Amino acid sequence: MQLLLEQLTNGLTIGSFYALVAMGYSMVYGVMKLINFAHGDFFTLGSYLGYTVLVIGSGWVTRTFGIWGGIVVAILGAMLGLAIGGLLVERVAYRPVYKAGRLPLVVSALGASIFISNGIMAVWGPRFQAYPQTSIPAGTLRLFGEVYITDIKLVTLIVSLTLMALIYYIVERTLFGAAVRATALDRETATLMGINFRSIILFVFSVGPALGAMAGVFAGLNYSRIIFTMGWGYGLKAFTATIMGGIGNIPGAMIGGILLGILESLFEGFVSGAWKNVFVFLILIIILIVRPTGLIGEKVAEKV
Amino acid sequence: MKRISSIVFVLVLTLSLVLAACQQKPAEPQTIQIGLQAPLTGDFAAEGQWAKQSVEVAQELINKKGGVLGKQVEIVVADDASNPKDSALAAQKLISQGLKEVIASYGSSVTAPAADLYDANKVVSVGYGCTAVRLTMEKQRPYFFRTAGRDDTQSEFFAKFAVEVLGAKRIAIMHDNQDYGRGVAEDAKKFLQPYLDSGQAELVYYDAITPGESDYSAVVSQIKEINPDVWFFTAYYPEAALLLKQARQAGYAGLFVGNNSVPTPEFEKIAGLDVIKGSIHLNEPMPQFLTYPASVEFMEAYKAKFNEMPGSIWAVYAADALNALVAAIAKAGSIDPDAVAQTMRTMTDVQGITGPLMFTERGDRKDIPYYAYIYNDQGQLELYYPK
Repeated sequence: MQLLLEQLTNGLTIGSFYALVAMGYSMVYGVMKLINFAHGDFFTLGSYLGYTVLVIGSGWVTRTFGIWGGIVVAILGAMLGLAIGGLLVERVAYRPVYKAGRLPLVVSALGASIFISNGIMAVWGPRFQAYPQTSIPAGTLRLFGEVYITDIKLVTLIVSLTLMALIYYIVERTLFGAAVRATALDRETATLMGINFRSIILFVFSVGPALGAMAGVFAGLNYSRIIFTMGWGYGLKAFTATIMGGIGNIPGAMIGGILLGILESLFEGFVSGAWKNVFVFLILIIILIVRPTGLIGEKVAEKV
Repeated sequence: MKRISSIVFVLVLTLSLVLAACQQKPAEPQTIQIGLQAPLTGDFAAEGQWAKQSVEVAQELINKKGGVLGKQVEIVVADDASNPKDSALAAQKLISQGLKEVIASYGSSVTAPAADLYDANKVVSVGYGCTAVRLTMEKQRPYFFRTAGRDDTQSEFFAKFAVEVLGAKRIAIMHDNQDYGRGVAEDAKKFLQPYLDSGQAELVYYDAITPGESDYSAVVSQIKEINPDVWFFTAYYPEAALLLKQARQAGYAGLFVGNNSVPTPEFEKIAGLDVIKGSIHLNEPMPQFLTYPASVEFMEAYKAKFNEMPGSIWAVYAADALNALVAAIAKAGSIDPDAVAQTMRTMTDVQGITGPLMFTERGDRKDIPYYAYIYNDQGQLELYYPK
C-alpha cells in the first residue's frame, strides 16, 4: 500500500513534466494544425538558459536572491527567453511557409528542431552539464510512513498543477480562451467573426514555449544532469501524452501527461523498468484503437 | 575583355595546380602513423577527450625518447561519436588513409563493428574501453587486442567481494539492458550462483532500467522497499548518478556498489558529494593509484600538460594501447600488421603504465588486477579492498 502511494507520487511528478510540455504541443497543434517538432528543444533550451542564469558569476544570482529567489529568477529568465525564442521561431521558420500547406510546415519544424539542438551543442558543448548543487534546495520532506519527497519535487508539483489550472481557466473560461478555441475549431470563420488571428498566434507561440522552458528548468533542478539531446526523449513522451489526451485539446494534454507518468511509474515499479516504454506505447495503441480521437478528444466531423 | 581575363585566370590556376601536383614526389613517410578512434562527441565525449589527451602525452614521451624505428610517432584521430554507425565510418576513414595500427575504441557496442572492419582489412586494432567478453570469445579476430580487462573479471571479483568481504546476504543487481551492462550483470549472477546455492546469499532483485531517462524514482522506490544489503549497478555514470541521488532522497540507506564506468568526475558532479560518499566502486587500478615507474612518469607528464589527472582508467588504457603497439612495432622491426600482431601475442617484457603489457592468443590482456574503491567524506576515492 505504501509502495503504491509512493509510486503514485513518483508518477504524478513525472507526469507533471510531461503535461507541461504536452500543453505546448497541443496549443500549437490546435491553432495551426502543426506538430511542432521544435517543442522538445524549447524544453532543452529553457533548461540551459536556467542553468546559465544559475552559474553566471559562479552563482551570483543564488547568492543575491537566496536559493528560492535564485530559482524564481532562473525560471522567469528562461520563460522570458523562450517566449521571445518561440515567437522568433514562428516568425523565421513557420510564417514564411504557412501558406505552402502542412507538409512543408512539418519539415520546417523538424529543421528548427535540429537547428536549436545543434545550436545548444555549439554554445554549451556536447557534454553533460550539471545544475550547481549550491543552487538546489537540499531539503526532503517526509510525507507519511517511509515516503519522502524532496522540497524541489514538491514545489515542481505544486507550481505545475497551479499553472495548469491557470491555463485551463484562461482557455476554457475566458473570452480570450473562447477565441483560441474558436480559432482551433475553424480558423477562417473565427477570423470572419472578428478574432485577431495574430494575437492568438502570439499567445500560443509565447506561452507554449515558456511552459516548456519552465519544465526544462525544473528538470534541471530535480535531476541536475542536462544535455543537449534531452529534449528528444521528453518531446516524444509529451507528444504521446498529447495524442493520448486528444491532440489539440489542452485539458486533454494535461490529463494525458499525468496519466502517462503514473502508468510509467506503476509499470516500472511493479513489473519491469526495462519494458517500460514498450508498455507505454502499447497503451497508446490500445487507446487509439478504442478512441481514435484520444481520451477526451471530441469527434470532429470530417470537412468536405 | 572581362570574360577573356577570367578564362586566362582559370587556366593559370589549373596549370599551377597541375604543376604543384607533379612536383610532389610520393615520398617515404617521415613518421610512423598510428590511428586513434575515440568518441570525441556524443554520450561518451568526455571519455573520448581524455583518451585523446592521454594518447597525446604517451606520444610525446615516446617521441622524446627517439620514437620508434628511428621515426617519430604521429597520431591520426577519427571521431566515432559514441555510436556503432559512426564507429564503422571512423574505421573506414582510418583504413582508407592506409594506417596499419590503430587504437579503437571506447564502449563494446561501438568497438565491435570497427574491430570487424579493421580485422577484414588486416589492420591491428587495440581496444581500450571495451570489456564485453564476446569481443574476444565469440569469434577469433586475429588483429584485435585490448588493453582493458574483460567484464567477467569484474563480475567474478564482485561475487567474491560482496559475499566474502562485505558479508552481504541480500544482493540486488541492476543493469541497463545494453551490451556492456547486461554482460556484467549476467556474469555477476553466474559467479554468485555457488553462494546462492549454498544459501550464503540471496539475489533479491535482478532487473534492468531504461537508460537515458532522468526520473528513476519508480525503480528507486522498488529498491527501497526490497532494501538489499548491496545494490550492484552495472552500467554507465549518467544513470548511476541519477539513481543513487534519487535513492538517497527517497530514503534508501543501503550500500551502493558501482562498476568500473561509474566513478568519474562527471558522476561526482551530477550526484554531488553528499550522495556519493560511502559508495563503493569496482575498478581496474585507478590512474592516481598506479605506482609503476612508467605510470609515475606518465602522470607527471600528463599533469604538466593538462594540469589535471586523467579522467578515467580507460584513457590510460588508450595510452597503453599506444605503448603496446609501439613496443610491438619496435620488436617486429616493421609496421607490417601480421608481424606486429604476432609480436603482441608473444611479448612478455613490456612495462606499460598499467602494468605489464601481455596478451593472450585471443587478444585479451593477461593479469589485470581488480580493486574496490570507496568515496571518503571529502568525496575522494580511497582504496578499500584489497589493501
